[in-house]
Formats: sequence, structure tokens, C-alpha cells
Amino acid sequence: MSGSGIPAVPHDLPEVPLSSTDTRANRTGSWRHVRPVIAEKAAPCHKACLLHAPIPQVMTALARGDIPAAGASLLNHNPFPAITARVCPHPCQVGCNRGRYDEPINIRAVERFLGDALLHRKGAPPDVSTGRRVAVVGSGPAGLAAAFYLRARGHDVTIYEREAEPGGMLRDAIPAYRLPAEILDAEIEGLRRMGVVFRCGVEIGSDMPLADLLAAHDVVFAATGAHGERGLGAPGEEHLTRGLEFLRGVRRGEITSASGTVAVVGGGNVAIDVARTLVRLGARAVVLYRRTRKEMPAIEEEVEHAIADGVTFEFLTLPVVAERVDGHLRLTLVTMQLGEPDRSGRRRPVPVPGSEHSFECDGAIAAIGEVAETKFLPKEVLDEQGWARADKATGATAEGWLYLGGDLITGPATVSEAIAWGRRAALAIDRRLRGEPPAAPERLLPTVSIKGINLDYFRRAPRTVQPALPVETRRLTFEEEIGGIDLVQAMEEAARCFVCGTCTVCANCWAFCPDAAIELGAEDAIPRVTLDYCKGCGICVVECPRGIIALVDEAKVEVRA
Amino acid sequence: MTIAWTESRVLTGNEAVAEGVCLARVQTIAAYPITPQTQIVERLAEMVARGELAARFVNVESEHSAMAACFAAAAVGARTFTATSSQGLALMHEMLHWTAGARLPIVMANVNRALAPPWSVWADHTDALSQRDTGWMQVYAESNQEVLDSILLAYAVSERVLLPTMVNLDGFLLSHTAEPVEVYAGHRVDLFLPDFEAPYRLRPGEPRAFGGLADPGRYLEFRLRLQQAMARAAGVIEEEGARFAVAFGRGYGLLHAEMMEDAETVLMVVGSMATTARAAIAQLRREGRRVGLLRVRVMRPFPFGAIRRALRGARRVAVLDRNLSPGHHGILHAEVKSALFSEPARPSVSGYVLGLGGRDVRPEDIAGIVADVERREGGEDLIWWGTGAPPSEIPVPAERREALA
Repeated sequence: MSGSGIPAVPHDLPEVPLSSTDTRANRTGSWRHVRPVIAEKAAPCHKACLLHAPIPQVMTALARGDIPAAGASLLNHNPFPAITARVCPHPCQVGCNRGRYDEPINIRAVERFLGDALLHRKGAPPDVSTGRRVAVVGSGPAGLAAAFYLRARGHDVTIYEREAEPGGMLRDAIPAYRLPAEILDAEIEGLRRMGVVFRCGVEIGSDMPLADLLAAHDVVFAATGAHGERGLGAPGEEHLTRGLEFLRGVRRGEITSASGTVAVVGGGNVAIDVARTLVRLGARAVVLYRRTRKEMPAIEEEVEHAIADGVTFEFLTLPVVAERVDGHLRLTLVTMQLGEPDRSGRRRPVPVPGSEHSFECDGAIAAIGEVAETKFLPKEVLDEQGWARADKATGATAEGWLYLGGDLITGPATVSEAIAWGRRAALAIDRRLRGEPPAAPERLLPTVSIKGINLDYFRRAPRTVQPALPVETRRLTFEEEIGGIDLVQAMEEAARCFVCGTCTVCANCWAFCPDAAIELGAEDAIPRVTLDYCKGCGICVVECPRGIIALVDEAKVEVRA
Repeated sequence: MTIAWTESRVLTGNEAVAEGVCLARVQTIAAYPITPQTQIVERLAEMVARGELAARFVNVESEHSAMAACFAAAAVGARTFTATSSQGLALMHEMLHWTAGARLPIVMANVNRALAPPWSVWADHTDALSQRDTGWMQVYAESNQEVLDSILLAYAVSERVLLPTMVNLDGFLLSHTAEPVEVYAGHRVDLFLPDFEAPYRLRPGEPRAFGGLADPGRYLEFRLRLQQAMARAAGVIEEEGARFAVAFGRGYGLLHAEMMEDAETVLMVVGSMATTARAAIAQLRREGRRVGLLRVRVMRPFPFGAIRRALRGARRVAVLDRNLSPGHHGILHAEVKSALFSEPARPSVSGYVLGLGGRDVRPEDIAGIVADVERREGGEDLIWWGTGAPPSEIPVPAERREALA
């Protein structure tokens, strides 16, 4: 080169412009006036789930094919996913943030895969035994769930069931096309493997007084459901079969066919189950409901399936008289109109004067509401109307040894709600048996909305759909109508999950932080902000794919601290 | 079993780049496609996807981001590559200063293409030469074989002197033209170009700042360091070229001289034009004309010494520039003149601007230039060649004639 006389370079000058000191010498945290706070939040699915199952954690584990970890997370909140995957209306899917991006996660399909995968694997006896004994009265979903969690915590559990076989509504009411008997049998077999004792054919109250259970048990949890059926309350009501009685007859093989036109009175889940069952037995089902479709308490999807099956609906219609005429049944119907809202918030149906008309059919079934039977309970736990009363968070009653739950308290509700009652009661009973004070009620974290999700990190992907029998086939059979998905499909569907509000330690915050102010801890630990260096730029807040990091005004943080 | 030491394949220049990158076992590639470079990016993406090249391919949204990503990868010590052309190179401009200033040994292939407007996708060196003051070394290949070889050499040199290298190949003339190329067996290249152990690199557990603030008491010295590295690079390029010749049987240097023994007239060229010039000059020599050829292979560091030595004894020089510094001359012409200024005896130097925007440079043009320059004993700084008419006769729109007079 032409250059000559190049001056000497200072001897301490580095060869390249790389700082000679660790950049940690520059405490850029002093520039900060806002700070990122890393705190996990609730996903909308978790909040909407009747069992508050940790759906994001389940999806994270399953997405990497870790069935044991996914199963452990799920079973901690839902002991019977193979059942709920089939019968729960899955409110979790409604609010799924992914639904505002492409399509919601098919949580039901994933739950079904996991439930079926675990079905024959779970059921190990507990590692320890407390020697404490709990009697569970009723083997419906609430009782079975309570037994599961109590036994898992080392208590001896005996279930008393009035019928010859356990399961309650799961066995006797929900039709086989929704819940095959072998699924329920496998779940019960799992409880038996855990060491839960079943005593069937024993009705507490008539065969054995409730108080006698106390002699052999420390605590009694009663969840006997709502099996009493309301009648029509109209002349000729004896001509109508009761809905639950009909469903039970079909499931037990006592009723094998139906024909002609059968009216189904009611708009709840029992009414829809009855109507769809009638179609499968060969009859034409007409649902008579006194309000409109909007007010029907039945699971919306089941109503859609019923319509596809060929069930017809007459809304704003109430039978006021039933009479036998020439081997037929004649119902006198009144047309209704909706008035002011009642206590349930639904508009009360009121008759339209002079609207009576007759409806000819071959039979009719009333499914207009089920009520709990409370005669066997001590009057200390009943209110003035004779309804059973218990603490919503624990199932505890005025009698310390007696806990109640499920439809017995709530009236007819979903299987998932009953399971939730059973779980809450089991956890409360466990604390009581250990001499611990009742736990503080579980508080849900704030929810992450779609605005908290950084959609740049998620590829559009179609929702996995469960296989289903074609309508023309399914309406002729009691075979299960919805099928399952395989492991690959389940992993793909789980991988679609945004994992809203739960840190997956993706380390984006670490990678993007210009001040190396994010500290990664152990493998699963949520990253921490090193305040000495965080200058509050907020890049981590934006780059967090799942809305866990929030920017908080520094002054407010200090005041709170 | 026989070991294949070399495989002869018919490759375009773009494919030769990708093969070279693959043989160099590059670890990170961040690139954005642009005509006529796109096939380089496509081929590399395929190699990475198929697992033939164990590299991280970073998709980016622009050339500026591509070079920013290369900065980061090179800062942690990864062998890093990118490729671009023309407008893309112009968009990278800021990051070219950053990477050179930070002394990161990144290698880039630039497929030379004219800058718009008017829009053009064809060969022109102005894109690369307008980046000549960024601190990047610049190599210009004549053939597709040299393209592949120059990628390997670029890493060998860059990683010794800690400066980035831009390997240039003419758009379409090389990038899209296929010719036989020897592709070396990987184990031979591994011996020539072992894994890179960066002497300075970022470690997450020991955070340092690259390119932090230097006060006026230090900035000048850092530029001096850069200049010293460039000065050292001139020798390193010759050394590595010689080492390459031992390994693979083909040598490369800063300046390639041919037919210079008794040359009175010397043509200086860059890139693929050398092949045309060589054929035309060989014909002229058969006719008894004393003409020589100097191909400038490396534009940065500029080979001052080699040019002075090569031109001692020449009577006249024609510098062929496929580029233009508007308001000045052809860029090589100006630099050759500056190299010769301190010489006690100098040849006359004439500058020809030709072939811009991919205009063909034919053997007849070379012969014409030789005849033209031999008529100009004093030299002429800016001769437009191949415009079809003298510049004064290029028609001007009638309505602007007065304003343009």
C-alpha cells in the first residue's frame, strides 16, 4: 500500500471494536421508567372449562408426544377424560383465541385421544394409606370423581349404589351412541384397580340408614343425583312415559323398538336424548317445547344433531291435556308467547288465550325436569322447601361428617359440573381428614385475549376433525357416532394451541432482549427480568408469543412494593 | 472403492457459488432473493433442507436484515454467508459498514447487475464499486470455476485478517451461463479450510458489546486498524492463493498478467470480460501486435504495487470500466492513474466506459479499443465505447435542446 509513516497504535487498543469489559458494567436498568412483569395468565379455555382443566399445559406436553405428562396434568383436574370427551359440551372451545385467527383448537378431540389412551393404564393403588374411611353414596359422575381423588390421596373409599351396576346417569340415562357402556366400565375398572370398593344394590335410606354409614366411615359424601321426574301436572299425565325411565329401559334392553309418532315434552338434555333414541328405535320424534330454541337448556350441538337425525321441533307449545282415543294419544296443546324474564333470566312462556288445538300421536314422553330425592338426608342439611344445601366450594354441610354434591344440590346439570363437585368435595374432605383447615378458594388469573397473542409466531393450520358416522347410518344404530383421532393427529392439533398465558420457556424474551436482562433459570422455570439491566424497552412484551409479559409503570410498582 | 478427489460438473455461476458455500461448511446463511442471484439462495435453501449442508438458513424480509442477521451470526463465531445483487446490495449499505467495522469475516456473493433507473437486470460493476469504501474486500471472478474457488479462498483470507469479502460474478454472463467446473471432494476442502475458531466472539455468559461508542480519542485508531488489516490482506490473498494452488492446482492472486513480456499496449479489465479480451489479444499478437492483458481480480485491497510493477515498460494503458462514477470517470481508470502518479516513468492511461447495463463486449470491441488507444499518445480520461455515436451526437429531445445546450 502507498501509506507510509503510519503512526503507532496505542498499546491498549483492541484489534476489533469489541468492548474490553463485560457489558454488565453498564447498569442500563437505571434508565427505566416502565418495567416488564412476567406473570402467567389464564387461557380462555381454562377459564371456561367447567373443571378448570389446565388445557394449555396438557397441549404443551402432548404436542411433544409426552402422553404421561399430558395425562398427569389432565387427570389432576379431570379423572375421566374418556367420559367428558364424549358428553361434555366443551365450553372451553367457544372462547379459544385460536378461533379468532383460523379455527379453534379441537380440545374435545385431543381430550378424547388422551382419555382413551389412558383408559386402561390408569388406576394404580395409592402409595400410602391414611387408614381413614370415606363412604360415597351414589356412583354417578360426582361420586366416582370424589372416589378417584379420595382414593388417590390414600383414603379407603366405599361407594354405595342403589342400582345393580355403578354409573348413575352415565349408565342409565346418557344413550350409548354418545357414551358406550364399555367406556364407563373401563373407568370403573380403573377405580377398582385403585382399590375403590363398590357396594351395589344397596339403597341408603331404605336398605341402610345414612347414619349407619358413620359407624364404619369417617366422612360420608352423598351425590345421589336428580332422579325424581316431574310429571306434566295436567289431566292425563299418566299416559306419558317419564324420560329417564324410558332411557333406562332402552339402555337395559327392556325397550327395543318404537313406532309411529311420539311426542317428547321438554327442552333439556333428557328430552333430546329421548328424541334421538326414539329415532333409532324406529319412531318419528316430535319435541314439544314451551319456549323457543334460544331458551332450550339442552346442549346446542345435540339439538343440531337431533335436527339432522330427523327430529322435528314444535316451539312455544305446551300440552295441557292428554287422553287416549282409539288406541292413539291425543294431546291438547296451547300456543305460548314469551313474557317477562323469570328468575332464570329466560323469558317466561305465557299461554295465548284461545289457542288450544289437538295433536294426535302414538305415544308421549315427558322430560320436563328432574329433581333430587332428599328423604334419606338428615333434616339439618335441608332448607325449608326440603332441598339439600351444601357449601358450593367444598360440599360441606351443617353436619360436619356429611358432604353433598352434584345434581343432588344443583338439580339436573352436566356431567362435567358433577365431576367438578366431586373433585372439590374430595379435596375438602381430604383436608378435613388430615386435620388441615379448608383451603382458600382457587382464584383464576386474569385471562389472555387474542390481543395478547403475537400471531406472527403461529402458522395457519386447519383444525383436526373427528371422524363421524354419516347421518343416514347413525340414525339407525346405537353405535357411537363420533370417532377418535390418532396420536399424530392429536399431536398436530395440540401443536396448534397458542398456549395462551402459560410460559413454554420459548426463550424469545431472552433472545430479543438487547440488554441481556432476561435470565433463564432451570429447564421449566419462567424466565426472570434482571432489573439492573432492563431499561424497559418493552421488546420482550411484544415478542412474547403468548401474552405473559406486561409493561407496568415503574412508579406504580414501587408504590405496590 | 475409489475416492473421488474431484468431480467435473457443468454448473452455472450461481450453482458454483452454492457448491462453494456447501464445501466451506458454512454454518449460517441469511439471504434475500433478487434477480440474478435468486438461484444461489434457492440452491442453498435446498441443500440445508435436505441436510446436505448443516447450516441455519435464516429467512429475512430484506437485504438490510440479511446482513444484520449475518452480523449476529458472525459475532458469535459462526461461518456466515449471504448473497445479493445490485439494489439489494445498495439496501445493505449501512450494514456493510457495520460488519466491516466490527471486523467480522462474513463472505458474500454479489451478482453484478446495473442499478436502476432505468430498470436493468444485466451485468454492470457499479453496484459493487459504489460499496468500495465500506471496508469489504472485493474479488471479481472471471469464470465459474473461479467463482467456486473464490468462495473458498474468501473464507481462508477473511478469517485470517478479520475482514469481510464480497465475491463478485457478472450477472447472466456468469450467473446463468453453465460451464464445466471442478467440484472438490469435501475432505480435501476440509484440509484447506478447517473449522473457524473466531478469536473474538460473543458468549452469552460473558456479554460484550460489538461496535460500542468510541470517543474521538480512539475512533481514528480503529480506522487505522482497519486499514492495517487491508494492507495485510494483500499479502494474505497472495499466500492463500499459493496455498490453494498447491491443494487444488489452480492459483489466484490480486492481479493476473498475461502476454505482458514485451507489451507496449496493455488492456486492464475486470471480471468475465477478461475471457473475451484474452481471445481478442491472442489474435492481435498472432498479427504481430505487442498487446498485453492485466486482469484486476481484487479491487479491495487495491493492488497498487502489483499494478505499478506490471506496467513498468508499458507505453500505454487502456482501462476498461464496466462502471461509472458520474461526474468522475470509470472507477478503475481513476484508481490506476492514482497508483501510477508517484511513478517516475508512467505510461499514458486512457479510460473506456463500456458494457454498462449488460451491453455485450465483443472481440471486435477489444480490437477496436486497442486500435483506438494506440492513436491517443497522451491518454484520454473518459471514452464512451459502444454508444454507436460520439457523445456529442447522441440525440437530445427537441423541446429540451435549449436547456441542454
